[in-house]
Amino acid sequence: MASPTDVTTAAAADDPDTGLRAIRALRDLADRLEVLQVGNARSRGWSWQQIADALGVSKQAVHKKHATSRRDR
Amino acid sequence: MLERFTDEARWAVTHSQDEARALRAERIEPVHVLLALTREPGRAGQLLRDAGLDHDRLRDAVVRSGPLDADALAAVGIDLDQVRAATEAAFGPGALDRGRRSPSGHIPFADAGKQVLVETVRLVGRRHLGRIDAGHLLFGVLTVADPQVSRLLQQLGVDLDALREQAAGADAA
Repeated sequence: MASPTDVTTAAAADDPDTGLRAIRALRDLADRLEVLQVGNARSRGWSWQQIADALGVSKQAVHKKHATSRRDR
Repeated sequence: MLERFTDEARWAVTHSQDEARALRAERIEPVHVLLALTREPGRAGQLLRDAGLDHDRLRDAVVRSGPLDADALAAVGIDLDQVRAATEAAFGPGALDRGRRSPSGHIPFADAGKQVLVETVRLVGRRHLGRIDAGHLLFGVLTVADPQVSRLLQQLGVDLDALREQAAGADAA
């Protein structure tokens, strides 16, 4: 696996194929971390509004994305 | 059909669902059946363990081969191993790689999972055997040659064809 300090792989980010793959991977990673952190916040008593504010999105958006798959709607 | 399964084979089928649930999968895939078989106390489980496929090692490989693209992330300077380590430190083992499915309720078999059962019954039918045991189930998993299972076994240095022959083996002829 390429290491982040490898100059050749950093250069490979100029290639749109790699670059777009990276965007997709970043999104997947962000999605997974979001699920974990929203759950974390909810378990600490954060309101949906507080979570939305921290994420910079509307309360409706975060509720729609996360509340339907959780029991603590 | 399940009434022809031995207790161990039935146990493995039931526990395939548990494995799928623990990994938050949407459906039961051949790899979940394989994971359940690594825990089977009889001949099939022993074959797997002797081949170096104990439950935790296989599960770890399954989790790590998940959809997060480590190379693509590395190209923009993100070390996925580090992110994974930090996430697991905060949220427990496998936290980063688990799927989204909530851990409750019945999980259906994927088509490939159903195909495992078909191949198992087919093998038993060819040999005119009465009971279907865990070894036959293992043969079914390895016959379906699901890409995920093939890739994992190759990664873990296991010869799939040799293992498959052994699984078909012992009760043989």
